[in-house]
Amino acid sequence: MTQELLMSSTETRGRPGVRRYAMVIDVRRCIGCMACQVACKAEYDVPLGVFRTWVPYRVTGKYPTVKKQFLPRLCNHCDDPPCVRACPVEATYKLEDGGFVLQHYDRCIGCKACMASCPYNARFMLPEHRTYTDITKVVDKCTFCYHRVIQGLVPACVQTCVGRSRIFGDINDPNSEVSQLVARHATQVLRPEQGTKPHVFYIGADRSLTDYGRAVYHKDEQADIERAAFNRNKHI
Amino acid sequence: MNEYTVFHTMAWPSAYAIYFFVIGISSALFFFSALSWFREDYRPLRENAFYASFVLLAVGGLLLIGDLSQPGRFLNILNPAYLNFQSPLAWGGLNLISFGLVAVLYFFMMRKGDEVNGKRLAIIGSLLALGLPIYTGFDLTVHQHRPVWNTPLMPVLFVGLSLVSGAAVASFLTKGSEAANSAMRRMMLWSGGAVGAMLISLLGTTAYGGVGAELTFMFLTSGTLGLIFIGLGIIAGTAVPIVLLLAPLGRQQVGMMTASVLILVGGMALRYSILYGGQILQTYY
Ligand code: SF4
Ligand code: SF4
Repeated sequence: MTQELLMSSTETRGRPGVRRYAMVIDVRRCIGCMACQVACKAEYDVPLGVFRTWVPYRVTGKYPTVKKQFLPRLCNHCDDPPCVRACPVEATYKLEDGGFVLQHYDRCIGCKACMASCPYNARFMLPEHRTYTDITKVVDKCTFCYHRVIQGLVPACVQTCVGRSRIFGDINDPNSEVSQLVARHATQVLRPEQGTKPHVFYIGADRSLTDYGRAVYHKDEQADIERAAFNRNKHI
Repeated sequence: MNEYTVFHTMAWPSAYAIYFFVIGISSALFFFSALSWFREDYRPLRENAFYASFVLLAVGGLLLIGDLSQPGRFLNILNPAYLNFQSPLAWGGLNLISFGLVAVLYFFMMRKGDEVNGKRLAIIGSLLALGLPIYTGFDLTVHQHRPVWNTPLMPVLFVGLSLVSGAAVASFLTKGSEAANSAMRRMMLWSGGAVGAMLISLLGTTAYGGVGAELTFMFLTSGTLGLIFIGLGIIAGTAVPIVLLLAPLGRQQVGMMTASVLILVGGMALRYSILYGGQILQTYY
Protein backbone atom coordinates (compact mmCIF):
# COMPACT_ATOMS: atom_id res chain seq x y z
CA MET A 1 0.00 0.00 0.00
CA THR A 2 1.46 3.24 -1.00
CA GLN A 3 1.02 6.73 0.19
CA GLU A 4 -0.37 7.98 -3.12
CA LEU A 5 -3.42 5.75 -2.76
CA LEU A 6 -4.53 7.58 0.36
CA MET A 7 -7.61 9.55 -0.52
CA SER A 8 -8.52 11.27 2.69
CA SER A 9 -6.63 12.73 5.60
CA THR A 10 -8.21 10.23 7.99
CA GLU A 11 -6.49 7.28 6.40
CA THR A 12 -3.55 5.92 8.34
CA ARG A 13 -2.57 2.85 6.35
CA GLY A 14 1.00 3.26 5.29
CA ARG A 15 1.42 6.41 7.37
CA PRO A 16 4.78 6.30 9.12
CA GLY A 17 4.83 6.41 12.90
CA VAL A 18 1.32 5.13 13.54
CA ARG A 19 -0.09 1.64 13.89
CA ARG A 20 -2.93 0.49 11.70
CA TYR A 21 -4.49 -2.69 13.05
CA ALA A 22 -6.15 -5.06 10.66
CA MET A 23 -7.64 -8.52 10.63
CA VAL A 24 -7.10 -11.22 8.06
CA ILE A 25 -9.76 -13.90 7.87
CA ASP A 26 -8.67 -16.97 5.98
CA VAL A 27 -12.05 -18.44 5.15
CA ARG A 28 -10.40 -21.62 3.84
CA ARG A 29 -9.62 -22.39 7.45
CA CYS A 30 -12.99 -21.44 8.90
CA ILE A 31 -15.01 -24.47 10.02
CA GLY A 32 -18.06 -22.47 11.07
CA CYS A 33 -17.83 -23.40 14.75
CA MET A 34 -19.07 -19.91 15.71
CA ALA A 35 -16.68 -19.86 18.66
CA CYS A 36 -15.75 -16.29 17.70
CA GLN A 37 -19.38 -15.25 17.90
CA VAL A 38 -19.69 -16.81 21.35
CA ALA A 39 -16.40 -15.38 22.59
CA CYS A 40 -17.50 -11.92 21.51
CA LYS A 41 -20.87 -12.30 23.21
CA ALA A 42 -19.08 -13.32 26.41
CA GLU A 43 -16.45 -10.58 26.22
CA TYR A 44 -18.99 -7.77 25.92
CA ASP A 45 -22.28 -9.10 27.28
CA VAL A 46 -23.64 -8.55 23.77
CA PRO A 47 -27.45 -8.69 24.14
CA LEU A 48 -29.80 -11.11 22.41
CA GLY A 49 -30.63 -10.30 18.81
CA VAL A 50 -27.58 -8.15 18.08
CA PHE A 51 -24.03 -9.12 17.16
CA ARG A 52 -20.61 -7.52 17.02
CA THR A 53 -19.44 -10.43 14.94
CA TRP A 54 -21.44 -13.11 13.19
CA VAL A 55 -20.72 -15.98 10.83
CA PRO A 56 -23.25 -16.33 8.02
CA TYR A 57 -22.92 -19.23 5.66
CA ARG A 58 -24.14 -20.42 2.36
CA VAL A 59 -24.20 -23.88 0.86
CA THR A 60 -22.86 -23.85 -2.68
CA GLY A 61 -22.55 -26.51 -5.34
CA LYS A 62 -24.65 -29.52 -6.19
CA TYR A 63 -24.73 -32.86 -4.40
CA PRO A 64 -22.32 -34.59 -4.01
CA THR A 65 -19.91 -31.68 -4.50
CA VAL A 66 -21.45 -29.27 -2.02
CA LYS A 67 -19.60 -26.90 0.21
CA LYS A 68 -20.52 -24.71 3.13
CA GLN A 69 -19.03 -21.27 2.62
CA PHE A 70 -18.55 -19.23 5.77
CA LEU A 71 -17.90 -15.52 5.92
CA PRO A 72 -17.17 -14.24 9.42
CA ARG A 73 -18.34 -10.64 9.64
CA LEU A 74 -17.55 -7.72 11.93
CA CYS A 75 -16.87 -3.99 11.77
CA ASN A 76 -14.20 -3.44 9.14
CA HIS A 77 -12.58 -0.60 11.06
CA CYS A 78 -12.54 1.25 7.78
CA ASP A 79 -9.62 3.56 7.08
CA ASP A 80 -12.07 6.14 5.72
CA PRO A 81 -15.14 5.32 7.80
CA PRO A 82 -18.45 6.81 6.63
CA CYS A 83 -19.93 6.24 10.10
CA VAL A 84 -17.49 8.74 11.61
CA ARG A 85 -18.41 11.29 8.96
CA ALA A 86 -22.11 10.78 9.58
CA CYS A 87 -22.15 11.23 13.35
CA PRO A 88 -23.35 14.76 14.16
CA VAL A 89 -21.75 14.82 17.63
CA GLU A 90 -18.49 12.95 17.07
CA ALA A 91 -19.71 10.13 19.28
CA THR A 92 -18.09 7.76 16.87
CA TYR A 93 -14.47 8.45 16.07
CA LYS A 94 -11.36 6.91 14.66
CA LEU A 95 -8.20 6.56 16.70
CA GLU A 96 -5.25 7.80 14.71
CA ASP A 97 -2.81 5.41 16.32
CA GLY A 98 -4.24 1.96 15.72
CA GLY A 99 -7.08 2.85 13.38
CA PHE A 100 -9.76 1.60 15.79
CA VAL A 101 -13.21 3.04 15.11
CA LEU A 102 -14.74 3.51 18.56
CA GLN A 103 -17.75 4.96 20.36
CA HIS A 104 -18.22 7.59 23.07
CA TYR A 105 -21.21 5.89 24.67
CA ASP A 106 -21.96 8.86 26.93
CA ARG A 107 -22.14 11.24 23.99
CA CYS A 108 -24.23 9.24 21.50
CA ILE A 109 -27.69 10.72 21.03
CA GLY A 110 -29.02 7.65 19.22
CA CYS A 111 -29.82 9.29 15.88
CA LYS A 112 -28.66 6.12 14.05
CA ALA A 113 -27.01 8.11 11.26
CA CYS A 114 -23.95 5.92 11.71
CA MET A 115 -26.07 2.80 11.29
CA ALA A 116 -27.53 4.22 8.10
CA SER A 117 -24.09 5.07 6.78
CA CYS A 118 -22.29 1.78 7.46
CA PRO A 119 -22.38 -0.35 4.31
CA TYR A 120 -21.73 -3.51 6.34
CA ASN A 121 -24.50 -3.61 8.97
CA ALA A 122 -21.75 -3.55 11.57
CA ARG A 123 -23.67 -1.28 13.94
CA PHE A 124 -26.68 -1.90 16.10
CA MET A 125 -28.75 -0.21 18.78
CA LEU A 126 -28.29 -1.55 22.28
CA PRO A 127 -31.58 -2.50 23.94
CA GLU A 128 -33.02 -0.89 27.02
CA HIS A 129 -32.21 -3.77 29.36
CA ARG A 130 -28.96 -5.65 29.68
CA THR A 131 -27.93 -8.26 32.17
CA TYR A 132 -24.57 -7.08 33.46
CA THR A 133 -23.78 -3.85 31.67
CA ASP A 134 -25.39 -0.48 32.12
CA ILE A 135 -24.55 0.88 28.65
CA THR A 136 -27.98 0.88 26.99
CA LYS A 137 -29.92 2.61 24.21
CA VAL A 138 -26.85 3.81 22.32
CA VAL A 139 -25.24 2.48 19.18
CA ASP A 140 -22.60 -0.18 19.58
CA LYS A 141 -20.32 -2.23 17.36
CA CYS A 142 -17.10 -4.24 17.33
CA THR A 143 -14.15 -2.35 18.82
CA PHE A 144 -11.43 -4.68 17.51
CA CYS A 145 -11.17 -5.43 21.25
CA TYR A 146 -9.41 -2.15 21.86
CA HIS A 147 -9.21 -2.82 25.62
CA ARG A 148 -7.40 -6.12 25.00
CA VAL A 149 -5.15 -4.91 22.18
CA ILE A 150 -3.73 -2.03 24.24
CA GLN A 151 -2.74 -4.62 26.81
CA GLY A 152 -0.86 -6.63 24.22
CA LEU A 153 -3.59 -9.24 23.71
CA VAL A 154 -5.40 -10.11 20.50
CA PRO A 155 -9.18 -9.68 20.12
CA ALA A 156 -11.32 -12.31 21.83
CA CYS A 157 -12.51 -13.78 18.52
CA VAL A 158 -8.93 -14.17 17.29
CA GLN A 159 -7.85 -15.72 20.58
CA THR A 160 -10.60 -18.31 20.42
CA CYS A 161 -10.55 -19.18 16.71
CA VAL A 162 -9.82 -22.91 16.61
CA GLY A 163 -8.97 -22.99 12.93
CA ARG A 164 -6.63 -19.96 13.26
CA SER A 165 -8.75 -18.46 10.57
CA ARG A 166 -8.64 -15.02 12.15
CA ILE A 167 -5.27 -13.28 12.34
CA PHE A 168 -4.82 -9.83 13.87
CA GLY A 169 -1.97 -7.35 13.80
CA ASP A 170 -0.49 -4.05 12.67
CA ILE A 171 -0.57 -3.83 8.89
CA ASN A 172 1.76 -0.83 8.99
CA ASP A 173 4.44 -3.14 10.35
CA PRO A 174 5.87 -5.02 7.35
CA ASN A 175 6.97 -7.89 9.59
CA SER A 176 3.57 -8.55 11.13
CA GLU A 177 1.71 -11.71 10.17
CA VAL A 178 -1.20 -9.71 8.72
CA SER A 179 1.19 -7.73 6.49
CA GLN A 180 2.80 -10.91 5.27
CA LEU A 181 -0.53 -12.59 4.58
CA VAL A 182 -1.90 -9.58 2.69
CA ALA A 183 1.34 -9.36 0.71
CA ARG A 184 1.44 -13.05 -0.19
CA HIS A 185 -2.19 -13.87 -0.85
CA ALA A 186 -4.93 -12.57 -3.02
CA THR A 187 -7.28 -10.92 -0.55
CA GLN A 188 -10.78 -9.52 -0.76
CA VAL A 189 -12.47 -6.80 1.21
CA LEU A 190 -16.22 -6.28 1.40
CA ARG A 191 -17.73 -3.74 -0.99
CA PRO A 192 -14.44 -2.07 -1.96
CA GLU A 193 -16.32 0.19 -4.39
CA GLN A 194 -17.70 2.16 -1.44
CA GLY A 195 -14.29 3.72 -0.81
CA THR A 196 -14.34 2.87 2.86
CA LYS A 197 -10.96 1.06 2.81
CA PRO A 198 -12.04 -1.84 5.02
CA HIS A 199 -9.37 -3.32 7.26
CA VAL A 200 -10.76 -6.82 7.48
CA PHE A 201 -9.16 -8.78 4.66
CA TYR A 202 -10.51 -12.11 3.51
CA ILE A 203 -8.56 -14.90 1.90
CA GLY A 204 -10.68 -17.19 -0.27
CA ALA A 205 -14.03 -15.46 0.31
CA ASP A 206 -16.77 -16.69 -1.97
CA ARG A 207 -18.42 -14.08 -4.18
CA SER A 208 -21.83 -15.46 -3.40
CA LEU A 209 -21.30 -14.20 0.13
CA THR A 210 -19.43 -10.96 -0.48
CA ASP A 211 -21.72 -9.52 -3.17
CA TYR A 212 -25.36 -8.61 -3.29
CA GLY A 213 -27.07 -11.36 -5.19
CA ARG A 214 -30.34 -11.74 -6.96
CA ALA A 215 -31.08 -14.47 -4.45
CA VAL A 216 -32.15 -11.68 -2.12
CA TYR A 217 -35.56 -12.43 -3.59
CA HIS A 218 -35.53 -15.78 -1.84
CA LYS A 219 -35.36 -14.01 1.45
CA ASP A 220 -34.69 -15.74 4.68
CA GLU A 221 -38.20 -15.95 6.12
CA GLN A 222 -36.90 -16.81 9.55
CA ALA A 223 -34.74 -13.70 9.69
CA ASP A 224 -37.80 -11.63 8.80
CA ILE A 225 -39.91 -13.27 11.50
CA GLU A 226 -37.17 -12.69 14.08
CA ARG A 227 -36.73 -9.10 13.01
CA ALA A 228 -40.45 -8.42 13.27
CA ALA A 229 -40.54 -9.94 16.77
CA PHE A 230 -37.48 -7.92 17.78
CA ASN A 231 -39.05 -4.67 16.55
CA ARG A 232 -42.36 -5.50 18.21
CA ASN A 233 -40.65 -5.78 21.56
CA LYS A 234 -39.28 -2.28 21.03
CA HIS A 235 -35.70 -3.43 21.42
CA ILE A 236 -34.57 -0.73 19.03
CA MET B 1 -28.92 -15.44 -0.01
CA ASN B 2 -27.34 -17.04 2.98
CA GLU B 3 -28.65 -20.21 4.53
CA TYR B 4 -27.78 -18.70 7.86
CA THR B 5 -27.37 -15.08 8.75
CA VAL B 6 -28.40 -12.79 11.56
CA PHE B 7 -31.16 -10.28 10.92
CA HIS B 8 -30.42 -6.58 10.66
CA THR B 9 -32.82 -3.81 11.50
CA MET B 10 -33.38 -0.66 9.47
CA ALA B 11 -31.61 2.34 10.88
CA TRP B 12 -34.34 4.85 10.13
CA PRO B 13 -37.92 3.74 10.72
CA SER B 14 -41.16 5.35 9.54
CA ALA B 15 -41.00 8.14 12.17
CA TYR B 16 -38.34 9.72 9.93
CA ALA B 17 -40.70 9.67 6.94
CA ILE B 18 -43.35 11.46 9.01
CA TYR B 19 -40.71 13.94 10.11
CA PHE B 20 -39.66 14.60 6.49
CA PHE B 21 -43.33 15.09 5.59
CA VAL B 22 -44.15 17.43 8.45
CA ILE B 23 -41.01 19.52 8.24
CA GLY B 24 -41.32 19.88 4.46
CA ILE B 25 -44.86 21.22 4.83
CA SER B 26 -43.79 23.51 7.66
CA SER B 27 -41.02 25.10 5.62
CA ALA B 28 -43.24 25.60 2.53
CA LEU B 29 -46.00 27.17 4.64
CA PHE B 30 -43.53 29.62 6.11
CA PHE B 31 -42.36 30.45 2.61
CA PHE B 32 -45.94 31.18 1.49
CA SER B 33 -46.53 33.35 4.54
CA ALA B 34 -43.30 35.20 3.78
CA LEU B 35 -44.28 35.67 0.12
CA SER B 36 -47.38 37.52 1.30
CA TRP B 37 -45.18 40.54 2.13
CA PHE B 38 -44.24 40.78 -1.52
CA ARG B 39 -47.25 39.44 -3.42
CA GLU B 40 -50.82 40.45 -2.86
CA ASP B 41 -52.32 37.12 -3.95
CA TYR B 42 -50.57 35.39 -1.04
CA ARG B 43 -51.87 37.90 1.53
CA PRO B 44 -54.75 35.74 2.87
CA LEU B 45 -52.18 33.08 3.75
CA ARG B 46 -49.90 35.22 5.90
CA GLU B 47 -51.25 34.42 9.37
CA ASN B 48 -52.87 31.04 8.77
CA ALA B 49 -49.91 29.57 6.90
CA PHE B 50 -47.51 30.86 9.52
CA TYR B 51 -49.43 29.39 12.46
CA ALA B 52 -49.75 26.03 10.71
CA SER B 53 -46.05 26.16 9.86
CA PHE B 54 -45.10 26.85 13.45
CA VAL B 55 -47.26 24.06 14.85
CA LEU B 56 -45.79 21.62 12.33
CA LEU B 57 -42.27 22.79 13.17
CA ALA B 58 -42.94 21.99 16.82
CA VAL B 59 -44.44 18.61 15.89
CA GLY B 60 -41.46 17.87 13.61
CA GLY B 61 -38.96 18.84 16.30
CA LEU B 62 -40.69 16.60 18.83
CA LEU B 63 -40.79 13.72 16.34
CA LEU B 64 -37.10 14.10 15.67
CA ILE B 65 -36.18 14.25 19.33
CA GLY B 66 -38.60 11.43 20.16
CA ASP B 67 -36.94 9.18 17.61
CA LEU B 68 -33.53 9.53 19.26
CA SER B 69 -32.78 6.63 21.54
CA GLN B 70 -31.40 9.22 23.98
CA PRO B 71 -33.86 12.11 23.61
CA GLY B 72 -32.45 13.82 26.70
CA ARG B 73 -29.15 14.27 24.88
CA PHE B 74 -30.54 16.17 21.91
CA LEU B 75 -28.75 19.29 23.16
CA ASN B 76 -25.44 17.56 22.36
CA ILE B 77 -26.14 18.56 18.79
CA LEU B 78 -25.75 22.20 19.81
CA ASN B 79 -22.57 21.66 21.77
CA PRO B 80 -19.78 23.35 19.78
CA ALA B 81 -17.24 21.00 21.33
CA TYR B 82 -19.06 18.01 19.83
CA LEU B 83 -20.36 19.34 16.51
CA ASN B 84 -19.18 17.51 13.43
CA PHE B 85 -19.77 19.66 10.37
CA GLN B 86 -19.18 16.74 8.04
CA SER B 87 -22.57 15.42 9.13
CA PRO B 88 -25.70 16.90 7.52
CA LEU B 89 -27.51 16.18 10.79
CA ALA B 90 -25.34 18.75 12.54
CA TRP B 91 -26.23 21.36 9.91
CA GLY B 92 -29.86 20.29 10.12
CA GLY B 93 -29.96 20.74 13.89
CA LEU B 94 -28.56 24.26 13.59
CA ASN B 95 -30.90 25.03 10.69
CA LEU B 96 -33.94 23.86 12.67
CA ILE B 97 -33.07 25.88 15.75
CA SER B 98 -32.28 29.06 13.82
CA PHE B 99 -35.45 28.67 11.75
CA GLY B 100 -37.45 28.30 14.97
CA LEU B 101 -35.89 31.46 16.42
CA VAL B 102 -36.48 33.49 13.26
CA ALA B 103 -40.07 32.19 13.15
CA VAL B 104 -40.67 33.50 16.69
CA LEU B 105 -39.32 36.95 15.75
CA TYR B 106 -41.33 36.87 12.55
CA PHE B 107 -44.45 36.18 14.60
CA PHE B 108 -43.96 39.38 16.61
CA MET B 109 -43.31 41.48 13.49
CA MET B 110 -46.36 39.97 11.82
CA ARG B 111 -48.52 40.82 14.83
CA LYS B 112 -47.11 44.34 14.93
CA GLY B 113 -47.56 44.72 11.19
CA ASP B 114 -43.97 45.99 10.97
CA GLU B 115 -43.48 46.08 7.19
CA VAL B 116 -39.70 46.64 7.15
CA ASN B 117 -38.65 44.07 9.74
CA GLY B 118 -41.40 41.70 8.65
CA LYS B 119 -39.97 41.65 5.15
CA ARG B 120 -36.43 41.20 6.40
CA LEU B 121 -37.40 38.28 8.61
CA ALA B 122 -39.53 36.86 5.81
CA ILE B 123 -36.44 36.68 3.58
CA ILE B 124 -34.14 35.27 6.28
CA GLY B 125 -36.81 32.81 7.41
CA SER B 126 -37.49 31.69 3.84
CA LEU B 127 -33.82 30.94 3.26
CA LEU B 128 -33.70 28.95 6.49
CA ALA B 129 -36.97 27.24 5.55
CA LEU B 130 -35.46 26.29 2.20
CA GLY B 131 -32.57 24.74 4.12
CA LEU B 132 -34.85 22.25 5.85
CA PRO B 133 -35.88 20.13 2.85
CA ILE B 134 -32.38 20.54 1.44
CA TYR B 135 -30.73 19.17 4.56
CA THR B 136 -33.23 16.31 4.83
CA GLY B 137 -32.33 15.43 1.24
CA PHE B 138 -28.65 15.54 2.12
CA ASP B 139 -29.33 13.33 5.14
CA LEU B 140 -30.07 10.60 2.63
CA THR B 141 -27.73 11.57 -0.20
CA VAL B 142 -24.53 11.36 1.82
CA HIS B 143 -24.84 7.61 2.38
CA GLN B 144 -22.78 6.59 -0.61
CA HIS B 145 -23.76 2.93 -0.58
CA ARG B 146 -27.53 3.44 -0.57
CA PRO B 147 -29.24 3.12 -3.93
CA VAL B 148 -31.96 5.74 -4.53
CA TRP B 149 -30.68 7.91 -1.70
CA ASN B 150 -27.22 8.57 -3.11
CA THR B 151 -28.22 10.76 -6.03
CA PRO B 152 -27.86 14.53 -6.47
CA LEU B 153 -31.63 14.57 -6.95
CA MET B 154 -32.54 14.02 -3.31
CA PRO B 155 -32.16 17.59 -1.94
CA VAL B 156 -33.95 19.04 -4.99
CA LEU B 157 -36.66 16.38 -4.87
CA PHE B 158 -37.27 17.17 -1.21
CA VAL B 159 -37.61 20.87 -2.03
CA GLY B 160 -40.15 19.99 -4.73
CA LEU B 161 -42.03 17.66 -2.38
CA SER B 162 -42.00 20.33 0.29
CA LEU B 163 -43.53 22.93 -2.05
CA VAL B 164 -46.20 20.64 -3.46
CA SER B 165 -47.27 19.23 -0.07
CA GLY B 166 -47.11 22.72 1.49
CA ALA B 167 -49.30 24.15 -1.27
CA ALA B 168 -51.77 21.29 -0.74
CA VAL B 169 -52.09 22.21 2.95
CA ALA B 170 -52.14 25.94 2.17
CA SER B 171 -55.03 25.45 -0.23
CA PHE B 172 -57.16 24.72 2.84
CA LEU B 173 -56.01 27.92 4.52
CA THR B 174 -56.81 30.51 1.86
CA LYS B 175 -60.04 31.67 3.51
CA GLY B 176 -61.76 31.18 0.17
CA SER B 177 -59.72 33.87 -1.59
CA GLU B 178 -59.84 33.40 -5.37
CA ALA B 179 -56.38 34.85 -5.91
CA ALA B 180 -54.73 32.72 -3.21
CA ASN B 181 -56.51 29.61 -4.44
CA SER B 182 -55.28 30.14 -7.93
CA ALA B 183 -51.73 30.83 -6.66
CA MET B 184 -51.82 27.53 -4.74
CA ARG B 185 -53.20 25.71 -7.76
CA ARG B 186 -50.32 27.01 -9.86
CA MET B 187 -47.84 26.10 -7.14
CA MET B 188 -49.20 22.55 -6.93
CA LEU B 189 -49.06 22.20 -10.69
CA TRP B 190 -45.51 23.46 -11.14
CA SER B 191 -43.95 21.77 -8.14
CA GLY B 192 -46.01 18.60 -8.72
CA GLY B 193 -44.77 18.57 -12.32
CA ALA B 194 -41.18 19.03 -11.15
CA VAL B 195 -41.56 16.19 -8.63
CA GLY B 196 -43.01 13.98 -11.39
CA ALA B 197 -40.09 14.73 -13.70
CA MET B 198 -37.58 14.02 -10.93
CA LEU B 199 -39.29 10.73 -10.06
CA ILE B 200 -39.03 9.62 -13.67
CA SER B 201 -35.29 10.30 -13.72
CA LEU B 202 -34.93 8.63 -10.33
CA LEU B 203 -36.67 5.52 -11.62
CA GLY B 204 -34.51 5.55 -14.74
CA THR B 205 -31.18 5.89 -12.96
CA THR B 206 -32.18 3.32 -10.35
CA ALA B 207 -33.38 0.75 -12.88
CA TYR B 208 -30.17 1.08 -14.88
CA GLY B 209 -27.85 1.33 -11.87
CA GLY B 210 -25.53 -1.26 -10.38
CA VAL B 211 -26.62 -4.46 -8.69
CA GLY B 212 -27.78 -2.73 -5.52
CA ALA B 213 -29.71 -0.08 -7.44
CA GLU B 214 -31.29 -2.62 -9.72
CA LEU B 215 -32.46 -4.79 -6.82
CA THR B 216 -33.76 -1.72 -5.00
CA PHE B 217 -35.67 -0.74 -8.12
CA MET B 218 -37.34 -4.14 -8.05
CA PHE B 219 -38.26 -3.73 -4.39
CA LEU B 220 -39.63 -0.25 -5.07
CA THR B 221 -41.77 -1.35 -7.97
CA SER B 222 -43.19 -4.63 -6.68
CA GLY B 223 -45.13 -5.93 -3.70
CA THR B 224 -46.44 -3.67 -0.95
CA LEU B 225 -43.72 -1.08 -1.37
CA GLY B 226 -44.48 -0.95 -5.09
CA LEU B 227 -48.11 -0.26 -4.27
CA ILE B 228 -47.08 2.58 -1.97
CA PHE B 229 -44.40 4.06 -4.25
CA ILE B 230 -45.95 3.62 -7.67
CA GLY B 231 -49.63 3.35 -6.75
CA LEU B 232 -50.00 5.95 -4.03
CA GLY B 233 -46.92 8.09 -4.59
CA ILE B 234 -46.57 8.40 -8.35
CA ILE B 235 -50.00 7.63 -9.78
CA ALA B 236 -52.55 8.65 -7.13
CA GLY B 237 -50.39 11.28 -5.44
CA THR B 238 -48.64 12.98 -8.38
CA ALA B 239 -50.11 12.13 -11.79
CA VAL B 240 -53.82 12.12 -10.89
CA PRO B 241 -53.76 15.46 -9.02
CA ILE B 242 -51.88 17.11 -11.90
CA VAL B 243 -54.48 15.86 -14.38
CA LEU B 244 -57.25 16.90 -12.02
CA LEU B 245 -55.83 20.39 -11.58
CA LEU B 246 -55.47 20.82 -15.33
CA ALA B 247 -59.08 19.74 -15.93
CA PRO B 248 -61.89 22.29 -15.61
CA LEU B 249 -62.87 20.65 -12.30
CA GLY B 250 -59.46 21.58 -10.92
CA ARG B 251 -60.42 25.25 -10.99
CA GLN B 252 -63.31 24.61 -8.69
CA GLN B 253 -63.06 24.29 -4.92
CA VAL B 254 -64.02 20.62 -4.83
CA GLY B 255 -61.50 19.63 -7.52
CA MET B 256 -58.72 21.50 -5.79
CA MET B 257 -59.53 19.99 -2.41
CA THR B 258 -59.52 16.49 -3.89
CA ALA B 259 -56.19 17.17 -5.61
CA SER B 260 -54.74 18.52 -2.34
CA VAL B 261 -55.76 15.45 -0.37
CA LEU B 262 -54.29 13.17 -3.04
CA ILE B 263 -51.06 15.19 -3.08
CA LEU B 264 -50.73 14.86 0.68
CA VAL B 265 -51.30 11.11 0.57
CA GLY B 266 -48.78 10.89 -2.27
CA GLY B 267 -46.24 13.10 -0.49
CA MET B 268 -46.28 10.84 2.55
CA ALA B 269 -46.15 7.69 0.40
CA LEU B 270 -43.16 8.97 -1.59
CA ARG B 271 -41.17 9.96 1.45
CA TYR B 272 -41.93 6.66 3.14
CA SER B 273 -41.03 4.52 0.16
CA ILE B 274 -37.85 6.44 -0.63
CA LEU B 275 -36.76 6.16 3.00
CA TYR B 276 -37.53 2.42 3.14
CA GLY B 277 -36.46 1.64 -0.41
CA GLY B 278 -32.91 2.72 0.33
CA GLN B 279 -32.68 0.47 3.35
CA ILE B 280 -34.34 -2.84 2.46
CA LEU B 281 -31.61 -4.47 0.45
CA GLN B 282 -28.88 -3.98 2.99
CA THR B 283 -30.80 -5.64 5.79
CA TYR B 284 -30.18 -8.91 3.96
CA TYR B 285 -26.48 -8.30 3.43
S1 SF4 C 1 -17.56 -1.25 9.04
FE1 SF4 C 1 -19.19 0.22 9.36
S2 SF4 C 1 -19.08 0.71 11.53
FE2 SF4 C 1 -17.15 -0.25 10.99
S3 SF4 C 1 -15.78 1.49 10.51
FE3 SF4 C 1 -16.68 0.77 8.57
S4 SF4 C 1 -18.46 2.07 8.30
FE4 SF4 C 1 -17.87 2.26 10.45
S1 SF4 D 1 -26.33 7.07 16.83
FE1 SF4 D 1 -24.77 7.91 18.20
S2 SF4 D 1 -22.81 7.29 17.32
FE2 SF4 D 1 -24.38 6.99 15.76
S3 SF4 D 1 -24.37 8.88 14.55
FE3 SF4 D 1 -25.93 9.16 16.11
S4 SF4 D 1 -24.88 10.12 17.83
FE4 SF4 D 1 -23.29 9.31 16.48
